[in-house]
Amino acid sequence: MVYPGGVRALADVSFEVREGEFLTVLGLSGSGKSTLLRCINRLVTATEGRVLIFDEDITAAEGVRLRALRRSAAMIFQQFNLVRRHTVLTNVLAGSLGRAGLAGSLFLRFTPAEHERAMACLARVGMADRAGSRADALSGGQQQRVAIARALMQQPQLILADEPVASLDPALRHSVMRHIEALNREEGLTVLCSLHDLDLVTRYATRLVALRDGRLVWSGEPREFDPETYREIYGEDAETSSLAG
Amino acid sequence: MPRGNETDLRLTGWPKNVARLKTVAVDAALIVTAWLMVEFLVLAFSGRRGPTGLILTAEQILDLLHYAWAAAGSLVLATLWNLFYRAIGASPGRLIVRGAPEAERDRPWTQRISGWFVAVFIELTFFTGWMVTELDVVSFLTKFSKASDIIRGLLQPSSSVLHEGLVLLVQTVFLAFMATAFAIPIAFVLAFPSARNLTRGSFISRTAYTVMRTLMNFVRAVEPLVWALIFISWVGIGPFAGVLALWVHSVAALTKLYSEQIENIDTGPMDAITATGASTLQVLRYGVVPQVIPPFLSFTIYRWDINVRMSTIIGFVGGGGIGYILKPRVDLGEWGEVGTLVLLIAGTVWLMDILSARIRERIV
Repeated sequence: MVYPGGVRALADVSFEVREGEFLTVLGLSGSGKSTLLRCINRLVTATEGRVLIFDEDITAAEGVRLRALRRSAAMIFQQFNLVRRHTVLTNVLAGSLGRAGLAGSLFLRFTPAEHERAMACLARVGMADRAGSRADALSGGQQQRVAIARALMQQPQLILADEPVASLDPALRHSVMRHIEALNREEGLTVLCSLHDLDLVTRYATRLVALRDGRLVWSGEPREFDPETYREIYGEDAETSSLAG
Repeated sequence: MPRGNETDLRLTGWPKNVARLKTVAVDAALIVTAWLMVEFLVLAFSGRRGPTGLILTAEQILDLLHYAWAAAGSLVLATLWNLFYRAIGASPGRLIVRGAPEAERDRPWTQRISGWFVAVFIELTFFTGWMVTELDVVSFLTKFSKASDIIRGLLQPSSSVLHEGLVLLVQTVFLAFMATAFAIPIAFVLAFPSARNLTRGSFISRTAYTVMRTLMNFVRAVEPLVWALIFISWVGIGPFAGVLALWVHSVAALTKLYSEQIENIDTGPMDAITATGASTLQVLRYGVVPQVIPPFLSFTIYRWDINVRMSTIIGFVGGGGIGYILKPRVDLGEWGEVGTLVLLIAGTVWLMDILSARIRERIV
């Protein structure tokens, strides 16, 4: 993946995600984690190589086909990316835009069934009582939970989470991660999640892949992760105390 | 990443020759401008004085053949400069197109040849401007008495035009309102293809951007006064011609303001909506529109404000509104009545300013 301007963000990254697993992507800032996740739902288009979602090539898909594939892979962002001036409910309803009729959705109109489902999704993350609030009135942790409800509303098979808790208060991280874990365990959704907090990685991931300078340098299970691997991923100078501690 | 690489990175992707041509073109333009300004000043100071002399010399300078020679010479100089820039220092065109070269980056402008060139260029522009605009400090400081009659008249407004003035003032405000209101929906639609960040994708969208920008810049460059003359001959003298003139100009101005707001949005929500599998229109509706509504409203109110002020001038040529009765009184030197009308306009503008500030405060 080469960005306009010549920055090569990813090269020779090849791996497979198994259905139902919680795969965590590790790596330093700038190692290509976000680019990797964004290649998967074509928020950026890879300059070379292919991404297959359920055996369908999204790198070659266009129009309706591309939108259908995007619908099956919901994304959760570090900055939540809610529509700040819309209500919580409208934000969740936006998750169904891939299915909704065009005319109605342009006037923010959705069917009663969709309303009902949106409320159920909000209830799942414990935010049903805030359905009428404006999104920018919520705290960071609450906004991320609404974003999870929006992802759920999309009825995806795959969740792409790009540093979902990196801009949250440390005390709230587990509460948000547990909601993502629940999607994985209870709904059977496959989760691809980039994280940089190693405590979270070892607690939630079922498998890891690690990027360094845009290349895949390691993959394995959380229990195989040792100080040696840590240095391989984060470089010789990296402080290992968080792992030792 | 070391800073030295940044300029190189920007260059990859488009051919180096294009960058070279751009550099030489910018330099040639700068040199030929400086050259002609020097000539102009030499001629102006070589004995001829006053407007007639200036106009004559200007004609000599702008003689086409002479201009071609100057351009060719500048092109040669610019090419030479860029061939030997290592020996004599980078040219200003090089700075604009490629950024400062490593060797000169941390030097103050006094130690760069381009710095001196720019300094001399600014001086030349100032002196040439002084001559061209016929600046006359002496008249400005000594001949105030002639104007004092006018100012005295303005300060003693007469009540004879008060009624007529008020009626036409109402017309002015409505004229500005209609022009703004009709401009909103069109500018709103045109703003999207005019925003750089939304038109990077396909060839069609990039073309749409270029076409829209060019067209809107052209429309905006034509003064509302000229539009008024066009529409007066189209629909006849009266406020409707004024509405049309201000409308066309407002569409172009609002499109530009709106599209700049679209370029400033946070792309996060757009990404999030795109990721749900939404179509382009839905992405615009959910990812873009909610973010730009408050600034759009505030710019629109500001535009109404501007249109009220502009419609005065439009009235001068027959586009309706209060300017229509202001013009003959200015021509006849009825300064008392002019004073009344100016006060009415000033009061309205002042009121609208307060009003629009209040409303914008609420929205944002």
